[in-house]
Amino acid sequence: MENIEQTPAKQSKRDFLKYILGGSFLAWIATILYPLVAYLKPPKQAEVEVTSVKVGKLQDIEKESGQIVKFGNKPVILVRAANGELSAFNATCTHLDCTVQFRKDMGVIWCACHNGKYDLTGRNIAGPPPRPLDPLRVIVQGEEVFISKNV
Amino acid sequence: MTQRHSLRISCFVFLLVTSVQTAIMAQDQCLTCHEAMEDSHAALFKKDIHYAKGLTCADCHGGDASKEEMDAAMNAKAGYIGVPKGDRISATCSKCHSDAAVMVKRYRSALPLDQMELLEKSVHGKLSTSGREHIAQCTSCHGSHGIVTKTNRTSPVHPLNLPATCAKCHSNATFMRTYDPGLPIDQLEKYRTSVHGKRNMSGDPKAAECASCHGSHEVLSAKDVRSSVYPTNLPATCSKCHSNATYMKGYGIASDQHEQYAKSVHGKALLEKKDLGAPACNDCHGNHGAAPPGLESVSKVCGTCHALNAELFSSSPHKKAFDSRKLPECETCHGNHEIVAATDELLGVGEGAVCAWCHKENENIKGFEVARTMRSLADSLITAENEAISLVSEAEQKGMEVGEAKFKLREIRQARLETRTKVHSFDLKQFQEVADLGLAATSTVTAEAGEAIDQYFFRRWGLLVASLIITILAVSLFVYIRRIEKEQAQNR
Amino acid sequence: MKNKLLALYRWIDERVELRDLIEFMGKKYVPVHEHSVWYYFGGVSLFLFIIQVVTGILLLFYYKGSEELAFESIQFIMSKVEFGWLIRSIHSWAANLFILAAIIHMFSVYFTKAYRKPREITWLTGMAMLFLGMGFGFSGYLLPWNELAFFATKVGTDIAGVVPVIGKPIMILLRGGEDVTGATLSRMFGFHVAIFPGLFVVFLGIHLLLVQRQGMSEPIGFENSPANQKTMPFFPNFLLRDLLLWLLVLNVIAVLAVLFPWELGVKADPFAPAPSGIKPEWYFMFMFQSLKYIPAQVLFVDGEVLGILLFGFAGLIWTLVPFWDRKSAAGQQNRLVNYIGLFVVLYMILFTILGWLA
Repeated sequence: MENIEQTPAKQSKRDFLKYILGGSFLAWIATILYPLVAYLKPPKQAEVEVTSVKVGKLQDIEKESGQIVKFGNKPVILVRAANGELSAFNATCTHLDCTVQFRKDMGVIWCACHNGKYDLTGRNIAGPPPRPLDPLRVIVQGEEVFISKNV
Repeated sequence: MTQRHSLRISCFVFLLVTSVQTAIMAQDQCLTCHEAMEDSHAALFKKDIHYAKGLTCADCHGGDASKEEMDAAMNAKAGYIGVPKGDRISATCSKCHSDAAVMVKRYRSALPLDQMELLEKSVHGKLSTSGREHIAQCTSCHGSHGIVTKTNRTSPVHPLNLPATCAKCHSNATFMRTYDPGLPIDQLEKYRTSVHGKRNMSGDPKAAECASCHGSHEVLSAKDVRSSVYPTNLPATCSKCHSNATYMKGYGIASDQHEQYAKSVHGKALLEKKDLGAPACNDCHGNHGAAPPGLESVSKVCGTCHALNAELFSSSPHKKAFDSRKLPECETCHGNHEIVAATDELLGVGEGAVCAWCHKENENIKGFEVARTMRSLADSLITAENEAISLVSEAEQKGMEVGEAKFKLREIRQARLETRTKVHSFDLKQFQEVADLGLAATSTVTAEAGEAIDQYFFRRWGLLVASLIITILAVSLFVYIRRIEKEQAQNR
Repeated sequence: MKNKLLALYRWIDERVELRDLIEFMGKKYVPVHEHSVWYYFGGVSLFLFIIQVVTGILLLFYYKGSEELAFESIQFIMSKVEFGWLIRSIHSWAANLFILAAIIHMFSVYFTKAYRKPREITWLTGMAMLFLGMGFGFSGYLLPWNELAFFATKVGTDIAGVVPVIGKPIMILLRGGEDVTGATLSRMFGFHVAIFPGLFVVFLGIHLLLVQRQGMSEPIGFENSPANQKTMPFFPNFLLRDLLLWLLVLNVIAVLAVLFPWELGVKADPFAPAPSGIKPEWYFMFMFQSLKYIPAQVLFVDGEVLGILLFGFAGLIWTLVPFWDRKSAAGQQNRLVNYIGLFVVLYMILFTILGWLA
């Protein structure tokens, strides 16, 4: 194969093309690598945690107390009774959807909207709520307390 | 001749009279005898309406009323059944009272014909503790031998006597215990304290008594959905009198309560949505002890459901202020029967706001300031919430994942509910605390939704940039290929 | 730069003796004719497969394959992982494009009779990969554990279970039990990321090796028309053109992923009733729709069984085309094969459209 002589103009054109080709190729590599690397970096919320939620350490949960925990996109109330037993329920009141709370002074789960009351098994015992609260499972693994769906 | 004539005439008259008397006495020999025996039932029967209509003892007891002799009269072959027991009693009454041929044709009576049918379906038609008969027979309420119409003042079912008649069983703890230990037995006692009871005792037959609300023959348990006193039916029952302007004339109260109630939140909830948590007339007024709550107790009554609002009100400066001015607490701002959904419009000092009725710029100034501030806080919370909702919705429409932000929207809704409740403390500090929580939540949601929307545009810009780079690369690659192929062609 | 690459090449060559291979590859030519454009589809399929492997491995970093977490993990990828939405949408779009490209590649090979001797094994491995590709699609579809996927899997495995004798055991094998449960998800996951890739790579290796060894097939009668005997070298011409096309395909996928991100759906609830309008993915649609037209009972045979057996039989005949198409092996035009192919293409298109309209 013979090499046809390149005129200076053609030569500079070839170099220009090589630069464009090389440059855009590198840019393309960057466009591919940037999302990939960003993807591999762990996001702020390290784990997906929706059907099982870690609440914390058992010893941090006081007896005769209740707290609202975010479970996916639902509020859940975790109650620890006087005898240490844990129970968890969907915190949406079955009357008109307000969020319930634990009342230590009344010893019940209470809804501020219309004075609805539920006992610590979630059963509706006073006021307008027509149905008990949906229960969830509480799992204690070692020291950690988890709430998970009742499957 | 004259003596014989007059003797003949007197003999004839004597015979005539005695024969007539005999004839009459021949119709109800039972009564004749038993009257002579000084039987109390016979004496009572003389006052009975059935006697007035020409019925004999035999018409209920069977047998032959024309016979003087006991064996012939009280003869089973003649249909004598003696003193009927249990269901036989009601069956005996029913023989005529359920028969149109007897009641309408023969006696032209306007009485209903379905008492037996209704009784059997009612709660009183259930089997008694013996298991052999209904709990109640006709005679349990109407009596047996001295039965008169209910408009007769001596009738046990006359409106003024009926409460005592029902109470014979229903106030007897021992008796009621054998059927429904949970059923209270103090209805009569409570009734006597009520407006209805007091009027009844003072001789007003128009005032409601037991049958007015519960029915007479068709009484059903209050827990039965068909009962006239079941919560969803109760307002209509009370309305029967209370919405009748003509009937209520002279009592000095309005007759539009039901009309108002039906428009209210409570009315709509109970009557339209069948929410049994909503109050019917008796939940606020009491049922047997029915009376409007006193001025100072309105908040307590409302507070049986709206506990938090009532608690806050009772410890607020308004309690003393209202009570001393004889203002009926909750009702002053919210109404009594026509309670509509409370909106933020009620709050503040603008038009339509109830605070402005007493608090003006130069009158009760402190409250004026508080009301104004609360309203502006509430308004800013609404504005912030709407903005948050629309942003979240926009992000969602753009296909971005906003599950967490949507969850936080709940918090904002909760804050708005809580601020509405905290209004009743009439304490700006408490209100502000909750409002601030809500505003903080809205700013979080707005930020998250804003981020999501930004991400939407970022993706598209990123695509544009990447496509540009790819295009440049593709074009330069294409030119490069062309050049190689040209060279190859030239070299061939 | 160039010297460094040359030094590297020499270092490897001293140990592996690449030079013979390089020389052989350098002699490879691609025929240039009116049907040349179809040659690209094999490469496009390969490219799309590579994209699937890469994005699939990336998804493995965050996907959790259990009943409780599958749906949420994909929600997590779509919303919380940086560019997670991009990786996932690319994976879903490229999956469909891969099967489309593979089908087009298969039909172009069919119509140009490239399956004839000596390329029978290439055809067989290709068909195997096509079936595996559909298996990839079926198993991958379930992994997000959403409502549509759950019921589509139920219906699909139900149909598999209808095959006489072996159907039920196969169905239980596929489902990991009698019903579609979390066990099914685990199984499908295993198929999708381990078993199918393993098998696919084996067939792919054989397929590519053969293509390199045997070169590109020419249409029947190509040698007899000297005017048409244009060729181009595989390296660098055809390869660069290939790469250019791949670049454009990549851009298309990027546009699709950004403007039409793949949906999450509703989380599967085994106790909820089936939503209306469950449809299989488009590449199964024509078979699914055909089954609907077969009467419930044909003579003594169940309609569905007949349908499945017919499709199985048709697939077998199609796969064995190199062995019954004697004419092409002898270098003659075979009109019958063309008509059969045309019928199949039109049938598939028609029934797919019918399925969508329903």
